[in-house]
Amino acid sequence: MIMIRIKLILLFLIPAWLFSQSIVNTVHNLSVSGPGQIKAVSETEICIFCHTPHNSAPKGPLWNREDPGLNYSLYNSTTTQAVIGQPDGSSILCLSCHDGTIALGSVLSRPVPIDFSGGITVMPAGNTNLTTDLTDDHPVSFVYNSALAAADGELVDPVNISWPIVLENDKLQCTACHDPHKNIYTDFLVITTQYSNLCTQCHDKNYWISSSHRNSTATWNGSGNDPWFHTPYTTVAENGCENCHNPHNAGLNERLLNYQAEENNCLYCHNGNVASTDIQLQLTKAYIHDVYAYNLIHDASEGALVLTKHVECEDCHNPHAVNNTSANAPYVRGFNKGVKGINLSGGDVDPVQYEYEICFRCHADSPDKPASPTSRQIEQNNVRLEFDVGNPSFHPIAGPGTNPDVPSLIPPLTESSLIYCTDCHASDGTGSPAGPHGSIYPQILKFNYTTADYTPESYSAYELCYQCHDRNEIIGGGNNFQEKVHKKHITEEDAPCNACHDPHGISSTQGNTTNNTHLINFDIGIVHPNNMGQLYFEDLGSYKGRCTLKCHGKNHRRKSY
Amino acid sequence: MKTLIKLFAGLFILFLAQVTLGQNISGSAHDFSSETWNPSGEICIVCHTPHHADISVTDAPLWNHQLSTATYTVYSSSTLDATVGQPDGISKLCLSCHDGTVALDNFGGKTNGTTFISGDELLGTDLSDDHPISFVYDATLASTDGGLYDPTTTNSGLGGTIDADMLFGTKLECASCHDVHNGSGVAKLLVKSNAASALCLTCHNK
Repeated sequence: MIMIRIKLILLFLIPAWLFSQSIVNTVHNLSVSGPGQIKAVSETEICIFCHTPHNSAPKGPLWNREDPGLNYSLYNSTTTQAVIGQPDGSSILCLSCHDGTIALGSVLSRPVPIDFSGGITVMPAGNTNLTTDLTDDHPVSFVYNSALAAADGELVDPVNISWPIVLENDKLQCTACHDPHKNIYTDFLVITTQYSNLCTQCHDKNYWISSSHRNSTATWNGSGNDPWFHTPYTTVAENGCENCHNPHNAGLNERLLNYQAEENNCLYCHNGNVASTDIQLQLTKAYIHDVYAYNLIHDASEGALVLTKHVECEDCHNPHAVNNTSANAPYVRGFNKGVKGINLSGGDVDPVQYEYEICFRCHADSPDKPASPTSRQIEQNNVRLEFDVGNPSFHPIAGPGTNPDVPSLIPPLTESSLIYCTDCHASDGTGSPAGPHGSIYPQILKFNYTTADYTPESYSAYELCYQCHDRNEIIGGGNNFQEKVHKKHITEEDAPCNACHDPHGISSTQGNTTNNTHLINFDIGIVHPNNMGQLYFEDLGSYKGRCTLKCHGKNHRRKSY
Repeated sequence: MKTLIKLFAGLFILFLAQVTLGQNISGSAHDFSSETWNPSGEICIVCHTPHHADISVTDAPLWNHQLSTATYTVYSSSTLDATVGQPDGISKLCLSCHDGTVALDNFGGKTNGTTFISGDELLGTDLSDDHPISFVYDATLASTDGGLYDPTTTNSGLGGTIDADMLFGTKLECASCHDVHNGSGVAKLLVKSNAASALCLTCHNK
């Protein structure tokens, strides 16, 4: 009994703040006893910098500072559904120091401002001075209710949000994330941001649960820019949202990204320093999807059909969804999971089911789409029309090809196989990351594909074609067809594959099953009308056809094989 | 008789406080003996009388000042867990001067006084900008709030627990922070020094 009393007495003697983290040992203790650099010269009271027991204003919570007013530039974004007003509630209280307009020592209960050491008056410039420009800060002072969650679609219904995330009269304020009295998780956060724990209390991003950006244990190798300059964390998974987003003083205001140049948010990890593949290296090549060339044109709210020409990483990748799950053509792989696109009928899809639907965003119905480098008898730059499965011929992107007899196909490919756009259009080089990031070959082709006339045949000249079509079967000769068509033209006349074949396909809106089977659509820079002004191919059945044209100075008039 | 014993006990404690701390109401902000509106020149008379006291407020100590009939706007906050009612108990005694509705010189039966409190000491009937009073502060509130110490086990710094030294029947009142008789000699008649915010942090676990 006596021991218990002694223990109780000892408990009384221990300062209460030792039992738990207290404002006393945080930088919010602005009194002379405070641990930070910014503190009073002699004032010992701690609470006084924010609170007074009488004559407070605004009244709750017994505030002792001036109201800084309604002078803020507010966060805005094309994807926010919230109505973001001028800061109010507890947020305006925080801003009475953190906007840098009111002296830290200026309190209502003292006739003259409390002196700060070093002659400091207002909050010094730096990360803690948000300024009155809040466009680069997470929004505050907006009603966060079930209706907002429903309208947004990627927010947790606040009825399911629990302590320590606290809303104030239904509004999200600074205090939802920060507890100014306790600094347990750095930055006075109410819970840790490690593994995005804090962010995901409210943000419920589609696909995030299986994203590599949530789950990867990759670390930074120490080279180049620190990809995690605003966190103490050392893996992709630990950084989570903050791999790309910065809740305050963001580089790109909308959606609070780390850097204003969109691609840098990706490339500071995807440069071989964190991610295993070096995308940045691919983008140094001559032919790239030039993400550097466009700034602030891409918008997360844009439609699937790209109307203003641009390309950013996010046009093809959803950073909330990406992972490395594999798939077979035409199904989209993990790299491109969760992206919107245009389907074969020209309709919007979100998310895409097939990889080619992503390509169709820009290369199909877009008004400013890139043109083919080859001038052909039938011009078509809409690849959606070129690959339509109703066409007289097409490479099998969206469905198996029309020709049931293609002996050159290298197993395991068969006449019923499907391929990806990215089987041909991808970064060159062995071991390069998948996808059309950058290549030394035009059209971002994975292998060389010479299109110039008078090209001596070699494996390397048509390396792209020979990946799937057996070279010996094509040019080895043997039967009548092989001798007269491919061997004759490719090896004896030095004509490129591209002279006669249009590798994408010929739209049924322009071509037909007599003149445009077998991807026949002449390069009119090489193949010309004959002396009669005629230029056409006729399909006469299996391995039979005839040509009416002029090529290499020679006239064909219904020349058959 | 019991009340009388209590009063004597109280006076004895006050006497002890004077002796030990060397502080008293004389010369303090509550010493109105030389005010023109107090022609008696007495100190205690503004608040207390030995006879015919107003007993309408429970446990009022021989009250001699006219009480206020005001209805107050009480403090509220989105983070407040306490139930704050109209001021009651001994806080009503403080407000009989500090709400500004009753003249300072309305004591001893006088009701037509003309001198009113002013300046920072005038709280008015809008108490929404003042620390809440007249609410139950117990272990349950401390647990619910999470930012308050349990008053039944936490040292007040005055000798015992918060509950024993600073609360009035489990309620926090004006006198929880203020000693109207200036027993400790601290500015603003505080019960103890607020250097390093020690008074605030007695209850607030921030």
